[in-house]
Amino acid sequence: MNKQTPLIQIKNLDLHFGAFHALKNVSVDFHAGELVGLVGDNGAGKTTLIRVLCGIHTPSAGEVYFDGTRVKTFHPKLAIDQGIETIQQSVGLCDNLSIARNFYLGREPVKRFCGLPLLDFAKMREMSGRVIRQFGLRENVSVDDEVERLSGGERQSVKIGRAVEFKNRVVIMDEPTNHLSVREREHVNELALQLRDQGLLVIYITHDIFQVHRLADRIVIMENGEKIEDASTETMSAEALEEVIRQGGRIVEKRDAV
Amino acid sequence: MLKSEIKRLVRRHTEIGILVISLCLVLLFTLTSEGRWANAYNIGTILQVTATLGLMTLGVALVIGTGEIDISVGSTFGIGALIYLWFAVRIDPVFAALLATGAGALIGAFNGILITRTKTPSLIITLGSLMIFRGLAIALTDGFSFSVPYKERDGLSYSVLGGTEFLGINTGFYWLVAGLAVLLIALKMTPWGNRLLAVGGSAASAHSRGVRVERIKLSAFVVCGVLAAFAGTLEASKLGFADGSMGRLMELQAIAACVLGGCVLAGGRISLPGAVLGAFVLSSVQSYLVVTGVRPQWFILLLGLIVVFAALGDRTLRRWSLKN
Repeated sequence: MNKQTPLIQIKNLDLHFGAFHALKNVSVDFHAGELVGLVGDNGAGKTTLIRVLCGIHTPSAGEVYFDGTRVKTFHPKLAIDQGIETIQQSVGLCDNLSIARNFYLGREPVKRFCGLPLLDFAKMREMSGRVIRQFGLRENVSVDDEVERLSGGERQSVKIGRAVEFKNRVVIMDEPTNHLSVREREHVNELALQLRDQGLLVIYITHDIFQVHRLADRIVIMENGEKIEDASTETMSAEALEEVIRQGGRIVEKRDAV
Repeated sequence: MLKSEIKRLVRRHTEIGILVISLCLVLLFTLTSEGRWANAYNIGTILQVTATLGLMTLGVALVIGTGEIDISVGSTFGIGALIYLWFAVRIDPVFAALLATGAGALIGAFNGILITRTKTPSLIITLGSLMIFRGLAIALTDGFSFSVPYKERDGLSYSVLGGTEFLGINTGFYWLVAGLAVLLIALKMTPWGNRLLAVGGSAASAHSRGVRVERIKLSAFVVCGVLAAFAGTLEASKLGFADGSMGRLMELQAIAACVLGGCVLAGGRISLPGAVLGAFVLSSVQSYLVVTGVRPQWFILLLGLIVVFAALGDRTLRRWSLKN
């Protein structure tokens, strides 16, 4: 286990949406250079947890530290500025904008003309096209075409390309292989490992414990808004972890009692 | 091959529909009015009306681009006209115009702050401000009108601010062209424009990419207020007087012009040249009814029909362009 200061440290995190208690006293550390699988059933709180990390939700209680400094204000802009890039399932792309415009949304390259910040279209087209085509964008689709026209896999390619292109420290992948072909899926998994090997923290969210067990250094399992397991993949097999999910954490409770 | 190129063109340029409608109407009006519609004087009048309505429409289009709506622009127009006339007589027309547009910015900020802070639908808030500022305009004028005598309106400042013509066209029209050019650059070529359309397309996705959604919406409301008040200034400078009802129902024309011009009310897809063409079409229709002796009351009915058919036509065209 990595003994350095965690890149992200979450302490006793709680999040309420009205009467609904979405995250319950969650504490977990994430280190640079590791690939962590975040696993759990639907409604377990995986996506909600990463939405706190990428600044979309502000926690009701608890503390989040990034690189040793406590995060006091939560906003996606601040998270992106710190190098936290998230590939989310349902959000991240605006159908009405072109691929190139989506790719750079929020961090558009500009050229100054008489002091005015004008979009650097040449760079936007060239870079976005080059990066996204590696991840399966059809040759007959122009980066000037609207995202509305893309297939599910191509939409995912834009998000993944964006995560790779910018110099990030953390890449959070929320079900990144959904809608992808077998070959594209392998490509994404290889990429996750490459990013980890480059020293980035990769958090990989999935339902598929067997898939992520092959990749991850550590698996964190969530259930009903709580963390119920945090184990190294070297010490626990995929079958044992699957049993934890199936039992809803009861195995862990018994083990801890013993 | 040609068909797919046309589809791509239609997808990228929502104003194509209104361009075709405009050309057809110009042809129709020219052929059926025996020279009463297509003459230099009448076209000049149409362009003057297009200038004020068009400036207001540009602002409304930006707000629609963010997925919101501003129906208070008619009242902002009236307030702008009254403030301009009041101070133009007493101090200076340029200073008065600055004050009027400043008031428009404040009204826009009032709308924008309430909408973004309270998350109340923009239709409700701007309906409220439509009535608040109309009430204020009526109260300020107290049944009378503000005016500047004709002989006092001969300075350069009055002329530049829509008070006279240049090359046969009211100077207000040049403000519209300049406003369109500036906003087109801002919308298509700057990060602000990219983010504005993103907010309208999917506020949640824009937010997740770090876009300050509230700030973008607020900025659109402020620009909208400024343009509506400035349009009121130009109209007041042209007419030389204004009363409490000035700009009444213009908000509906501005929204209709946006719909005609290919702006999608759900947000994210707008065309500024299309919106201006929409304003031109409405001004042309109004003028056609006048020169052919049709009672002006029919204008509202016709306006409604045009908006419904334009919206349906635009929807059909877009679906066709998206079909593979």
